[in-house]
Amino acid sequence: MTSIGTGYDLTNSVFSPDGRNFQVEYAVKAVENGGTSIGIRCKDGVVLAVEKIITSKLLKVGANKRIATIDRHVGAVSSGLVPDGRHFVSRARDEAASWRSTYKTPITTKDLASRMGGYLQAYTLYSSVRPFGITAIVAGWDSELELPVDGQVGSGPSIGSGGKVEGKTYGGPGLYMIEPSGMYWGYYGAATGKGRQTAKAELEKLDLAALKLSLQDGVKEAARIIYVAHADNKDKEFELEMTWISNIDGPTKGRHQEVPKDILEEAENLAKKYLEGEDDEETKDDDKPAEGDKMEE
Amino acid sequence: MEFGTSGSLNEGALADGIHVDMDRLKKGEVKTTTGAYIANRVTDKLTQVHDTIWCCRSGSAADTQAVADIVHYQLGMYATANNRPPTTQTAAAMFQELCYENKDRLSAGLIIAGWDERHGGQVYSIPLGGSLHKQSYAIGGSGSTYIYGYCDSNWKEGMDEEAAVNFVKGALREAIKWDGSSGGVIRMVVLTKKGANRHLYLPDTDYAVRHQ
Amino acid sequence: MPGFDFTNHTRNAALHARGVPLPKATSTGTTIVGCIFDGGVVIAADTRATSGPIVADKNCEKLHYIAPQIWCAGAGTAADTEFTTALISSQLELHSLSTGRKPRVVTCMTMLKQHLFRYQGHIGAYLVVAGVDPTGVGLFTVHAHGSTDKLPYVTMGSGSLAAMAMFETQWKSKMTEEEAVTLASNAIQAGIFNDLGSGSNVDVAIITKDKTTLKRGYVKPNERSKKQKSYIFKRGTTAVLNEKVIQREEISKYVTVHELEGGATALGEKMDLDV
Repeated sequence: MTSIGTGYDLTNSVFSPDGRNFQVEYAVKAVENGGTSIGIRCKDGVVLAVEKIITSKLLKVGANKRIATIDRHVGAVSSGLVPDGRHFVSRARDEAASWRSTYKTPITTKDLASRMGGYLQAYTLYSSVRPFGITAIVAGWDSELELPVDGQVGSGPSIGSGGKVEGKTYGGPGLYMIEPSGMYWGYYGAATGKGRQTAKAELEKLDLAALKLSLQDGVKEAARIIYVAHADNKDKEFELEMTWISNIDGPTKGRHQEVPKDILEEAENLAKKYLEGEDDEETKDDDKPAEGDKMEE
Repeated sequence: MEFGTSGSLNEGALADGIHVDMDRLKKGEVKTTTGAYIANRVTDKLTQVHDTIWCCRSGSAADTQAVADIVHYQLGMYATANNRPPTTQTAAAMFQELCYENKDRLSAGLIIAGWDERHGGQVYSIPLGGSLHKQSYAIGGSGSTYIYGYCDSNWKEGMDEEAAVNFVKGALREAIKWDGSSGGVIRMVVLTKKGANRHLYLPDTDYAVRHQ
Repeated sequence: MPGFDFTNHTRNAALHARGVPLPKATSTGTTIVGCIFDGGVVIAADTRATSGPIVADKNCEKLHYIAPQIWCAGAGTAADTEFTTALISSQLELHSLSTGRKPRVVTCMTMLKQHLFRYQGHIGAYLVVAGVDPTGVGLFTVHAHGSTDKLPYVTMGSGSLAAMAMFETQWKSKMTEEEAVTLASNAIQAGIFNDLGSGSNVDVAIITKDKTTLKRGYVKPNERSKKQKSYIFKRGTTAVLNEKVIQREEISKYVTVHELEGGATALGEKMDLDV
């Protein structure tokens, strides 16, 4: 992005002659400086993880959470301006609650992403506002079961209803990433923030599209990827924050929750061990003389 | 049946939705009255609110038509906005919201029935106060009091389409026989994967022959 | 404040609670009908307007224009049918102009029912809506509370029972225009003769794909016959006490005078006189 602003970057919603909205591009810049956030869509759940840079030794460890619950079954994390992320969460909660009161059923991750995409896009249209300085990752598990209408009395015939289309499944994991422009896509693995390039490279190795990765392994991978992505930014301390949503039979029973301390620690230890191993390999590689350097006798 | 303010049209209706193995089936016996006069002897109380979601209206004709029109619109908007057809549950939720929030202004007894891919056939009943009941079959309107016994002893779990049609028709014929303000033609709609299939039975043939 | 004033209702309810009987609602008598035929629809109405027990107008118009190909027959409160049809007619014409399409009968029916439902029956308009639009022939009834019916033949008003008796015995499917007009006219006459609230003449509107024909006074079964005797007082019955002649030139002192263009006669509706 070569921003020869020439005045077209001073206000929101204004196009530059070559069809760009500079304010949105600057918002993306804000995101690129934020702590790395990732999401992994597993076969039996979804994981969210964020690299929380410690800006002061005086901050209480484990306080100041960055991953929020939007509805019982949905969570969200963002990279970029933290207050913008807070507003995003607030709006997402309103959307989820409004969906519930209108349709008497939980919002799907996809519908929530669509609503939030629309909301962020609206902040690119007016000169009185600025775009969101975040890229948000929304993760959820949509129930694969038939849910009752909220407030209904009774449950119909005991054998259940007939005439269903056989062999179709519904619900499952959902993972979406929403950018400052309002653009959003569904992902197998999503990464944003400073370490996104490294994180994406790691996510691509996991072959998530095959949907074979279990949630338990997903948690370990998420921790590892955050640690790997942080490796390029070693001078700053960070905390790892992780949440997950399993299917109805899994550890969270379809709810969005923090990853329990013991599992988190185990994942972190594995991540650290991996990094050490990687360092060893790197040194080993360095020790080995390069092919072309072989001495001729 | 006397609800609705004087001078308004009351549908002395018998509405019945029934839950069957393959589909959703609704029935409505059809007559609209103003006092003792039958304003319409072939009223269509089975109202489509989406492709395979229908409702049976009883109570004030004006109120139930207004409510059904609103839900018809909302479901249409839902389908286009979310790029997928609404479920019967969505429709039931919309009907309930309107009936409950405006309970002191409405005289509406509704039965919502629908078929959708995920949930198959379902029947919901929304009586006067605006509560929502999921049922195997639902009966309502002035004639329904006469057929609680009939329905209770004749309904069987897991009926096929033909058995369900006969159950519904049998129940309606009893209601028409015993209730002074039920009568006219029997309309029925069968909701399945294949869509909505209407039935019409006339008193001329003792409701034995299907005319539509 | 604009809108309805309900303060009298509170008063009346209080009076009623103390035993004062509620005034009897005067039925606004009318007979209106509609009937579809092969290629169009006909609506008809009687022409009596009543005010309590008084016949207020012997030849009023109950067929209201909505659009060139959509007409309404109105029963109930005369002012409400008049203003409601005029309002919807206006909105429908603007709608038609903005969409560039011909207005539809269902659109008209839907607008009427939503308007009337909003006023919860306080607007006492009972209407028969009929017309032909690009989707075909339409015939509906709309009640004051906002309910609607769609039928091949309809009747409304206090004479609707008498009129319906005609349809229930004589209607058949796929009637010709002539048959339908005759049946509708006979149904109105059944109202005129058997219902106290209906009377005078039959007005008919025939709507087909190509044109609308309004036949005001299609049947006049109640023409007043010539009086057998004149009851006019003989000249000189009233004594003349004094006399003053005002000249044409002086008259402008008393009233404003407009000269008519050479030889033209002033137009005005001729008054019915007891001669």
